[in-house]
Amino acid sequence: MTQTLLTSSPRVIEQIDWKGRAVSILPLAVLVVLVLIVTSQQPNFVGIASVRGLLESMAPILLLALGQMFVILTGGIDLSFAVTASFGTVLLALWIPELGALGVLAMLATTTLIGLINGFVIAKAQIPSFIATLGALGLYSGLGLAISGASTIRISTGYEAIGWITDLRVAQLPLSALLVIVVAIVISVAMRVLASGKSFHAIGLAEKALLMSGGSTVRIRILAFTLCGLFSGLAGVMLAASQRSGGPTLADSLQLPAIAAVVIGGTAITGGVGGAIKTLIGALIIVMLRVGLSAVGVDPSFEQIVYGVVIIAAVVLTIDRSRIGVVK
Amino acid sequence: MSAPVLQVKNLTKSFKGVVALNDVSFEVRRHEVVGLIGENGAGKSTLLKILSGIYQPDSGEILRNGKKIVFRTVKESAAAGIGMVHQEQSLVTSVTVAENILLGAEGDAVVGGIYNWKVLNRKAQKQLDKIGSPISPTAGVEDLTFAQRQMVELAKALGVEEYTADEPVIVLDEPSSVLEGDELEVLFAQIDRLRQIASVVFVSHRLDEVLRVSDRVYILKDGVCVAERNPETADTDELHRLMVGRESSAEFYREGDQKSVVGADVLLKVDGLSRQKAFSDVSFDVRKGEVVGIAGVLGSGREELTRVLFGAEGCDSGTILLDGTSVRFSSPVGAVAAGFGYIPAERRIEGIAQSMSVQENIFLADSRPVSVGPFMMVNKARQVADEWISRLRIRTPSRNTNINNLSGGNQQKVVLAKWLNSPRLKVLILDHPTRGLDVGAKEDVYTFIRALCDQGIGIVLLADTLEETIALSHSIIVMRDGEIQRRFDAAPGQKPLPVDLVEQMV
Amino acid sequence: MTSSPPSLGASVSVSPGVRIKRMLLGGGPLVVLLLLLIFFTFASDTFANPGNISVLLTQLSILLVLGVGLTFVILLGSIDLSAEGVMASSSLVFVLLATNDRNDFQFGILAALAGVLTGSLFGLVNGILHVRLGIPSFMVTLGMGAVGIGIATVLFGGRAPQLLDQGLRSLGVDKVFGVSKLVFLAALVLVIAVLIQRYTRVGRYGYVIGGDEPIARLSGINIKKYKIYSFVLSGTGSGLAGVMAATQLGVGDPTIGLGFLFPAITAVVLGGTLLIGGRGGVLRTLVGAAIITVLANGLILIGVSIYIQTAVQGLVIVIAVVASGWSLRRRVRVIK
Repeated sequence: MTQTLLTSSPRVIEQIDWKGRAVSILPLAVLVVLVLIVTSQQPNFVGIASVRGLLESMAPILLLALGQMFVILTGGIDLSFAVTASFGTVLLALWIPELGALGVLAMLATTTLIGLINGFVIAKAQIPSFIATLGALGLYSGLGLAISGASTIRISTGYEAIGWITDLRVAQLPLSALLVIVVAIVISVAMRVLASGKSFHAIGLAEKALLMSGGSTVRIRILAFTLCGLFSGLAGVMLAASQRSGGPTLADSLQLPAIAAVVIGGTAITGGVGGAIKTLIGALIIVMLRVGLSAVGVDPSFEQIVYGVVIIAAVVLTIDRSRIGVVK
Repeated sequence: MSAPVLQVKNLTKSFKGVVALNDVSFEVRRHEVVGLIGENGAGKSTLLKILSGIYQPDSGEILRNGKKIVFRTVKESAAAGIGMVHQEQSLVTSVTVAENILLGAEGDAVVGGIYNWKVLNRKAQKQLDKIGSPISPTAGVEDLTFAQRQMVELAKALGVEEYTADEPVIVLDEPSSVLEGDELEVLFAQIDRLRQIASVVFVSHRLDEVLRVSDRVYILKDGVCVAERNPETADTDELHRLMVGRESSAEFYREGDQKSVVGADVLLKVDGLSRQKAFSDVSFDVRKGEVVGIAGVLGSGREELTRVLFGAEGCDSGTILLDGTSVRFSSPVGAVAAGFGYIPAERRIEGIAQSMSVQENIFLADSRPVSVGPFMMVNKARQVADEWISRLRIRTPSRNTNINNLSGGNQQKVVLAKWLNSPRLKVLILDHPTRGLDVGAKEDVYTFIRALCDQGIGIVLLADTLEETIALSHSIIVMRDGEIQRRFDAAPGQKPLPVDLVEQMV
Repeated sequence: MTSSPPSLGASVSVSPGVRIKRMLLGGGPLVVLLLLLIFFTFASDTFANPGNISVLLTQLSILLVLGVGLTFVILLGSIDLSAEGVMASSSLVFVLLATNDRNDFQFGILAALAGVLTGSLFGLVNGILHVRLGIPSFMVTLGMGAVGIGIATVLFGGRAPQLLDQGLRSLGVDKVFGVSKLVFLAALVLVIAVLIQRYTRVGRYGYVIGGDEPIARLSGINIKKYKIYSFVLSGTGSGLAGVMAATQLGVGDPTIGLGFLFPAITAVVLGGTLLIGGRGGVLRTLVGAAIITVLANGLILIGVSIYIQTAVQGLVIVIAVVASGWSLRRRVRVIK
């Protein structure tokens, strides 16, 4: 490069984004406050039994949330993910008696394929993800209900293939839940060290710039939905193991908590901002919220209201208004 | 003589320190058609946006019939009797002609939120009658042709008459760009008719048309109103000179650094490239280290051409040879892999990845130089990013700074670094690389362009001004209406004059 | 244009491709409906019975009211996913204020009004949150739907309150001229909705905003206001649907709206209202809702699982949105 005299440009002063920092610390603060409230009400909360219960109820939510996170990072949403997990439990219950562990793999392959198809349709036909996955939601909930006869299917033969998920313990804590936390950490690290680790973020923040730099947004978007399908399947396996059954609506009630976990952790619904550790914190908040509400004596029937309000509030806090033009 | 119906006095407007309009004054008299001409970036669109209430001027004033007026919204501008016919059509296709004509100004056709269709259609018919258009007010806009839609726009613009006791001023922004042949004649007939009932500002880059319909012509250049001419005595040559004439400084453009490319290998060979409704049968070569400038007005097809080269649009026929091998891209992914780079005019949307750090932006196109397999070598990446920051003198507090916080010039340098960082880069397409940059940043960009040439990279340049095109290019292609009109050799010392180019452009 | 002297006639020429698309959007759904009617008349002995037709119309009524409200929001290019939650809340508000077995309130028709207004209130909140805070509508309404279910669950208190007001109960169960009273109510709603769409600013500006929001803004239209109004209309429809369902079942229940949202969206889309906004209308929704109802009823009569229908509806939504958006695809485009 020639060293011709370069004229000066306006000086740049690092602007500290106070609001951004506050929002990024907020989830952790909320979690700490929740833990403090609960322990003050129930001193035995720190005991091993309640931590175990907490982790067990968090694991499927965290799995669903991690899958959804990839999609939300790209600026989209997958509304069909919980239904896909339910559908997965039905498939598992039907397949596991004959296929055993192979049935688990087949089910995971199926849910992954569902995600792949979602991503393919959205990326190739260039349609809004919420509406495409709303259609998928109907499709797979209908299929799940139809093939299960709208009833819960007990898993007895072949349960060994998934039984370890609930049975194995490490230091009295469920191994499976710990593994899910490890998965979250691995994802977080991968996003840092992989050369393409920031690709999901880049789509969410600047899809056109990425495209015009030769990035394959189609492939990355399909990958996000495919991962969402895979993680939905994993959540399904976990639920089926803990319930010892498959059911066409088994995971449906986790849709809202899982989306809430993603956004409350600080991943913006507009895409591009967030990560796996944030999602982990979000999932912890969601389960703590449930425990916390009952600890302070709130009727469990208020739970849905809290989820609804929390999800809207979290979206309001994390949304980046400068980057959305016409909001539909 | 009474005061002019519209008078603009000493209007100045700048964006982030870049002056778009500098002390511009002009006036429109009763029943007069005033032509307004200027190159892209001369300030026409800024001036129109101020007149329609979208922008506020930094200083200066607007007088209507001698009285000072200020408007902050489109509605207030309309209330002052200024009607706009926009370049991009501004009709809602999902509703009827009548609803469009009276959109947001239904008046007594809507009482208490309830529509009276009879009144609405009658009011719309009244506007359509003014221009003698046979289009039915109840027709759906989606069923109209482009030319018919323009007539509706005209009728809509004339609607501002209802707000004022006075005759309206109608501003036509490049109204002829989508029309051809007989449709154009209809437009001219309309302008003649308008002259009876209104005053008209006609903005166009087709000089012959401006000369034909206008009573007086103002020429804008670099945000300054440089001249006023009478069409009866002026000819297109003179207007051309006024539009582009400028003391060009060879030093400013680093002309001394331009090296001859005679005998260099052909890097990119474009042969018979066509895309429907954009350009046809375009052929040219780019040699190693050569800058090929493409000149042309809006609608010449040069923007579409570069996007086709980069794979962002498809083409219908023709071949592209890169280093002797035929390439065809279904998206920019393939183009970048093959060695193309693109610096887009829309820097904020297509150039930088907003809200990401300087370092992340540098490695957006190619991270292989700093990775091993799928893994990013974190330390090496930092080191390379810092190298680029110092080599290109990017003014940033650190490599981790959010790119949004950098000035336009420094953002552009990051975009440059993004492509320079890629070892596979062979051809770089520069689409208005200095748009919106201050003088210093422009000079930096020119320096980098010369340096790129020294490395044997071929450059396709769509420059902001004609001087820039002429000074930076080794050879120049002039496009008009989608076809190559003429080629110029632009070796140092044998550069063509801007006027020579303009003659071919319009 | 070759005519001389030059003139631009009103003669409107439309390309064949556009014409076919227009026909499919316009008359297509109606043709589908007729074909379905003919098919089921022959495929099933009981389909065309007066009794079954009465059942069909009753099934259609609630779906239609819901779909008509939703149409106003979808025309904007937005969506309202809160219907199930809103129906739940409005059914409980209604039953608990009318004569019931839980408390001593006896507000009669005012209770029904309160139920409907509960829906309007949800719509208002949806609209304000969406427009004022700039949250995407699907997100707001997903959250508010959960809030609706939650409020209903709180009011529900573990046991469904019975509706004991005989007059109101008769609305849901009694028939006039062999047809449920709900059908007449739904028809009235449809007429009002058509009038709103055709003759009011809310209706007309809905098309403008959905068709091209930036132009609407440039024209000085108060976009926020009219968007909020549209959400209120949608909420009101859901509220009324909740009340109607409660009169039919005789209870207020948090799950009363379950399974309604999906057919309602499908009905709107099937009728030919584009999910990207700007095109369509409530009369189209009537056709779409009729198709859904006929399909549901007819398939059961010939022995097809009701769950498969949900699956098919889901597929229909995806296909409709792919088909209507296919021509808009670009190589360089932002998708969300």
